[in-house]
Amino acid sequence: MKYTLTVNGERKRIEADADADVASTLRAAGYKGVKCGCDGGVCGASTVIIDGEARMACGLSMASVAGSEIETIEALGSQGDLHPIQQAFVDHLAVQCGFCIPGMIMQTKQLLAETTDPSEQEVREAIDDVVCRCTGYQKPVEAVLDAAQRLRNDSAGIEESTAMTDGGTLDSGGERRD
Amino acid sequence: MARSTAEVSAVTDRDGVPDGGTATPRAPDDAEHPLEWDEQENNDLSPEERTSVSQPAEKVDDRKLVTGQAKYTADYDERFPELARAKVVRSEIPHGNVVDIDASAAKAMDGVCAVITPDDEAVPDAKYTSAGQSYPEPSPWDMRVLNEHVRYVGDPVAAVAAVDEETAEEAAAAIEIEYEEHDHVVDPEAAFSEDAPRLFGADEVDNEIVGHDYARNRMAHIEGKIGEVAAATEREDVHVHESEWSTIRQSHAQVEKHTTLAYTDEDERHVLITSTQVPNHTRRQLAHLFDVPIRDVRVKKPRVGGGFGGKQAMVVEPIALALSLAASRPVLYEATREEEFGAMRSRHPMRVRARSAVTADGTIEAIELYALSNTGAYGSHGMTVAGNVGSKPLPLYSKVPNVRFEADIVHTNTPQTGAMRGYGAPQGTLALEGHLDRVARDLGIDPIEFRRDHYMEVGDLDAIAGMMGGEGAERRIRSCGLDECIARGKEAVGWDDLEQPAAEQLHRGIGMALSAQGTGVAGDELGAAQIMMNEDGSFHLQVGGVDIGTGADTAFVQIAAEVLGCAPADVVVKTSDTDNTPFDYGAYASSTTYISGMAVKKAAEDAKERILKWGSHMLDEPVEQLDTCGSEVYSDRTGASVTLEEIGYESVYGEETREHILGKGTHSTEESPPPFAAQFVDVTVNEETGEFDVNKLVVAVDCGVAINPKMAEGQIEGANHMSYEMAVNEGITVDSEGRAEQRDYEEYSFPTATESPPIESILVETHEPTGPFGAKSVAEVPTNTVPPALSNAVREAVGVRITDMPITAEKIKRALDEP
Repeated sequence: MKYTLTVNGERKRIEADADADVASTLRAAGYKGVKCGCDGGVCGASTVIIDGEARMACGLSMASVAGSEIETIEALGSQGDLHPIQQAFVDHLAVQCGFCIPGMIMQTKQLLAETTDPSEQEVREAIDDVVCRCTGYQKPVEAVLDAAQRLRNDSAGIEESTAMTDGGTLDSGGERRD
Repeated sequence: MARSTAEVSAVTDRDGVPDGGTATPRAPDDAEHPLEWDEQENNDLSPEERTSVSQPAEKVDDRKLVTGQAKYTADYDERFPELARAKVVRSEIPHGNVVDIDASAAKAMDGVCAVITPDDEAVPDAKYTSAGQSYPEPSPWDMRVLNEHVRYVGDPVAAVAAVDEETAEEAAAAIEIEYEEHDHVVDPEAAFSEDAPRLFGADEVDNEIVGHDYARNRMAHIEGKIGEVAAATEREDVHVHESEWSTIRQSHAQVEKHTTLAYTDEDERHVLITSTQVPNHTRRQLAHLFDVPIRDVRVKKPRVGGGFGGKQAMVVEPIALALSLAASRPVLYEATREEEFGAMRSRHPMRVRARSAVTADGTIEAIELYALSNTGAYGSHGMTVAGNVGSKPLPLYSKVPNVRFEADIVHTNTPQTGAMRGYGAPQGTLALEGHLDRVARDLGIDPIEFRRDHYMEVGDLDAIAGMMGGEGAERRIRSCGLDECIARGKEAVGWDDLEQPAAEQLHRGIGMALSAQGTGVAGDELGAAQIMMNEDGSFHLQVGGVDIGTGADTAFVQIAAEVLGCAPADVVVKTSDTDNTPFDYGAYASSTTYISGMAVKKAAEDAKERILKWGSHMLDEPVEQLDTCGSEVYSDRTGASVTLEEIGYESVYGEETREHILGKGTHSTEESPPPFAAQFVDVTVNEETGEFDVNKLVVAVDCGVAINPKMAEGQIEGANHMSYEMAVNEGITVDSEGRAEQRDYEEYSFPTATESPPIESILVETHEPTGPFGAKSVAEVPTNTVPPALSNAVREAVGVRITDMPITAEKIKRALDEP
């Protein structure tokens, strides 16, 4: 049957069985940033925001999300214009294989919508359901704390965070060598 | 203390038969391993001279990763409208023979494209190993793509391709398999006996490995020594210490499951888009297995969602290719998470015995390690991983004159093991570093000073690494930052001023451990790269090297940009596609930056030579006066310059003469310099309950010059997290039938974000003259050290030592309660 959903602000009619898995359905509809790392509802890679709440899309049936507003990683910034959370992950080298990162960023987005100045413990609790095998969570936690700072600065009208300056790209080949 | 001679005993197999990669032993030769390396001038740059290497740089794939635009294997499904999905039917019994398979119901189902069973024409009958190593393969050929003799719960027996996953699952469930059951054995000590159920018959293995004795379920036996340990232990002035340690069966648990997409293209060539660490080895293995020319196989690696050794194994590719051939359409096989835990690969669980002879003043006269390794149902990496239990940790103490290592590698009816980050070194490091801590305590000596009296330093000729041949070789130590790793680690963890908690029952202690690894497999690596210049002064860099999420592509770009004097953004990197990139052994053994990175450096230098020729022509200056920097070629003498863009256009569109500026580089070496780690663990233990909190992990690593320091830190932190898991979690456990008891992440415990202690990674820079711009490896050595350091910390805090991993509150409590 056909379900009407709002995905990333766009109304969509998506053909799927009532018990079809939301993550697979979103992926088939082209939202490949929704990742699947387990057999359903455990690893956190498929986390999207459904009606304002960060949830794993896998293990959920299409019938249970009929009419919902869904936000996926594709709704955030583009490669040329990253969302501040994405920028913080890039600047902190918090991404290795990247497979868990869309889910972790969506969890972060919800956390920072609710808590503008989270403690490290609150950050760890927010991403606790996201399995990351690469980083030991050290740099992702630093990135989320820095993203919170950037968003606070943005809302206070302060220029881009200068807290982390060592993650940028070199824009030239450097100075001449003697 | 350089050693000029060493007695070396390596066991080798019959002449002319692959002997498991064990090298021919040779006496170390000073002249062959000069301390002064003939290093190119441009390789040793002071921090001020570096424009790209060791500078902060964005990871080249990060923007697509954080926006969800990066493509992993499963994301290619949309390009194949006819794509079928695979499901594998696996043995439900631990040991037996398939006597009948009834697939008629499955074949009759709507939407089923193919069903394959062991006898099917599309299924190769050849025996092989899934190991994904170099050639000749140092693992036994003891398995088939689909098996009639099944040896563990999870052995693949049949497979289905269908139009969608649900249909594939239904069809797989409809296949009925009748078995003749055999006795099985799960415990490795019980298996290592002529009375135990035997897993392999006399003719069931080809390419057998040194020391095999299948009548006792032993796939290999290895030993090596220098000096005479037995004589040393009998001396009157020594005390002999013994201890025994055990390690978990750890899952790689990489978040992207093993995934592969197989099809045959319009040229009738077989293509695999696949989540692998070893594209070239996979291509060779598939060609051999399916008996097709190597030229007709293409293996292409997209983004990979983590590997850690698990994707060195060629686990899913043959099944997908066989299904695709049978169905005549593309097939995607994505393992389930349950298959990941039960039917892919895991770290070899081991019992390791350490024995040493030490004088009363703390001089170690002899050390030996013995490992009993459980390789599970098949033997991939069985011998080589076990070899590394000795050949990675023991060389750290190069001043010890008598050293011996021995290992038995045995089969059980349990899931398969394989390569995993650390590759035997974690098991050996637990035993060695735990043992040394115990000896130091027994003698009342500072554990750090005790180690310092025996550990490696620059100038040593290390014979221990080469004592068993194989994955080690004797080597000269040309960089060693151990002293500084220890000093900075102590400072960061607060070694000298630890505050005890106020509560009486709480006790805080710090434990430490050291580790060395290698950088690539000595004498058994090859990397290659090509670089081509575009008109606008940018470059395309093609590398066989494999980025599985480590940032290797970024390191390649930084190395190329350093040589070419351009911005990293001006280098487009294309890697790991066997049709389009040069040969590479792949991502394992901590080799990528060192081997493939050096190939990139050579390719860039080759291109630079041509660029300077063109610069010379355009500036009318001799080449000797010219260099590149800031995307220009400039003259030292006159200050005149020409941009790379001007050279780019002139070289391909010039009126008089034209040339496409190309560079190529290929690199292999006998060298495998060790990186070093000093680990510190700060723990608080409740002496009433045994409960403990790890307050902090500190690990200082000497990886030479870090090509990208933040990425190197990320490798260290991730490795230390994996090491922490080995210290505190159960890993994969098996039931009485050898079945993995964990099916999903909620059953496999590894430290989540809230359960993970803070990790402080410290980079200690040294200069390794054999590596690109002074680099050596980083990603494995911090995997080795948390289990011994935590065991030592608990001992320091409350006086008991846990030697069986994992360390749990129950074990500590039990030890505290012992009279």
